[in-house]
Amino acid sequence: MTTLDLIATLVKILVMVGFLFNVAGLLTWVDRRLSSMIQDRIGPNRAGLPLTKKITLRLFGLLHTAADGVKFFTKKDFMPPKADKLLFSLAPILAMAPVLALAAVIPMGDTVSLAQVGPRKLCMDAEGHALGLFVGDQCLDAAKNIVTAFASTATQWPAASRLGMNSSQGILHLSIAPLNVGILYIFAMAGQGIVGAAIAGWSSDNKFSLMGALRAASQMVSYEVTLGLSLVGAMMIYGSVRLQDMVIWQGENTWGIFVQPLAFFLFFTAAVAESKRIPFDLPEAESELVSGYFTEYSGMKFGMFYFAEYMEIVTSSMLLVTIFLGGWQLPFLHRDGLTLQFGDTMIIQQKVGHLAMLVIGVLAFFGKTLIICLLQAFVRWSLPRFRYDQLQKLCWQTLLPLSLANIFATGIIWLGLQSGGAPVAAGLKLASDITQGVVAVVLIGLVVWAIIGMFSPSRHLTQILGTSAKRAAKRGGTVTDPMQA
Amino acid sequence: MLLGQAFFGLCAALAIIGALSTVIAKNPIRGAMGLLLMIVAIAGLFLALHAEFLAAIQLIVYAGAIVVLFLFVIMLLGPASQSPSDQRGQIVRSLGAALFAGSGLTGAYYVWHTAPAMKKLLDAPPNDFGTIDTIGRVLFSDGLVPFELSSGLLMVAIVGAVAVARGKHRTDDSHNGRGEILSSRGPDGEDAKDAKDDARTTKPTGEVTT
Repeated sequence: MTTLDLIATLVKILVMVGFLFNVAGLLTWVDRRLSSMIQDRIGPNRAGLPLTKKITLRLFGLLHTAADGVKFFTKKDFMPPKADKLLFSLAPILAMAPVLALAAVIPMGDTVSLAQVGPRKLCMDAEGHALGLFVGDQCLDAAKNIVTAFASTATQWPAASRLGMNSSQGILHLSIAPLNVGILYIFAMAGQGIVGAAIAGWSSDNKFSLMGALRAASQMVSYEVTLGLSLVGAMMIYGSVRLQDMVIWQGENTWGIFVQPLAFFLFFTAAVAESKRIPFDLPEAESELVSGYFTEYSGMKFGMFYFAEYMEIVTSSMLLVTIFLGGWQLPFLHRDGLTLQFGDTMIIQQKVGHLAMLVIGVLAFFGKTLIICLLQAFVRWSLPRFRYDQLQKLCWQTLLPLSLANIFATGIIWLGLQSGGAPVAAGLKLASDITQGVVAVVLIGLVVWAIIGMFSPSRHLTQILGTSAKRAAKRGGTVTDPMQA
Repeated sequence: MLLGQAFFGLCAALAIIGALSTVIAKNPIRGAMGLLLMIVAIAGLFLALHAEFLAAIQLIVYAGAIVVLFLFVIMLLGPASQSPSDQRGQIVRSLGAALFAGSGLTGAYYVWHTAPAMKKLLDAPPNDFGTIDTIGRVLFSDGLVPFELSSGLLMVAIVGAVAVARGKHRTDDSHNGRGEILSSRGPDGEDAKDAKDDARTTKPTGEVTT
């Protein structure tokens, strides 16, 4: 490990962990703000910095998060007298550490090719597929074989790799640890979270805690099975368990949500269940179990459980983005720049520098993560809680068979498509380009909509609530009180 | 190299601490946590050997499933659960401990004495040793028969687990005629009692065979 590697790793850890902590903190605010919007309340409005006697800097309630932090640190750290002291203190660490460790393998951007942080020379075939990188006057592909056929006629699907990288010139992965086992590491880490919850409940010496811990353990063990199996189909199609390769495949072809739509929903459901949030928050159901396995926790130990939950949202969103929503990839933007192409018809091609593409990629990844985080927050405030038997039934009788069926169907369809030959491959290429086009249109539409919304004057709705009042307003006032007309 | 040595030393020490605390701890949950520590440390040792796949599987299967199962069972038994008093005699126990310690020490002695003499015990593994690709290739070519056989064994275990879990439920509704085979397991413990209860409640129909 060279000094450069060491510095790069430290920077990557700082970026990733910084993002995790900041977004998790922000999410506590989003949760409150969003819930108040959905439930038609004013929302967080108390915490503020008093500037003068009249004016208080409230910042839309953002300071509540800071106030929470101060409260966590200054509160008395209570421990039940009969609690198992060691395990009681160990549990919050065991709950939080796996979530942090999970972020280590998630790629936040394209692999940096140190030699070419600048415009690159690609050799293309007749249809504009990148074949590899020009070194001298030879064209070398990713495996550094000399590509002789510059103009191949058949359209490949999966498309020819644009990874014209020369590893001897130095490459830098934009994930903290680009592990070979990729997804398996994620499953391994996700499994460790259970222990924290179980230990917390058991060591608290409280029946509510114990019930919560039992529920948490059985729920997480159950949903972990679905979580793992839902990704098998995706692994089969991507042909790799490395998250990096998965994102590259999605950039070359199409986003995972289009090839594995069922798996996307299964994974999303299982991920929400794993983070133990509404509608799956049975382990901490406050109407039944006070707050479940962390009932006895206070101060920063509670804060760690609370924060771990929000960080889990962020990491599961990152995973979702990486596996199903193209990671750092945006439609038609590749390593070599913009290539707008449907099937074999090229529309626009514009070269963009490597560094600019890297920055766009990293921003795209974090932006997509934020959107999915917001979606998870929405889910929390729009669905009622399951009953416990419904929760287990949903997992074992619906999600698990569906994920098994997904694996089976994916295998058969994938085999059929691969043996379909050139016309099928060309058709698939066109279809994947069209899906990319749809994604691009939707994304641009969203941005335009947001900009229009930002600049349009805010509407002040004066709404008459209640059906009888509405009826009266329609008639032009109430009969009994003509003054209101 | 120094970093690798330090990592090995740390993992080995943690594994030994974990293993000892698993055996020594009076409190069953602490024992389970010791087991967890040992499993994680052994996963670290696998990592040091470039067996990333094995390390991940170790964590998924043992730390993520088996230890959780242990915790679950211990929690269901309740915090008051103590290990049942050991009925075996002192001699047998010390004999077992002596055998175990003796074999361990003998092994350590031989490694200590023969290792410096031999330049290397094994050839250095190839670069892709322990990756998913290599393991998959080995499993589906050289080790295909044992692999499939072990999957058959797992299948049998799953079916057996389902049968055992279902057996108790069936005795409750044995009066519908389907539970006869299961409820005729003989007068051992709970099943017999269940069946007796059943017989009492369903006496009028008189269909129960105990």
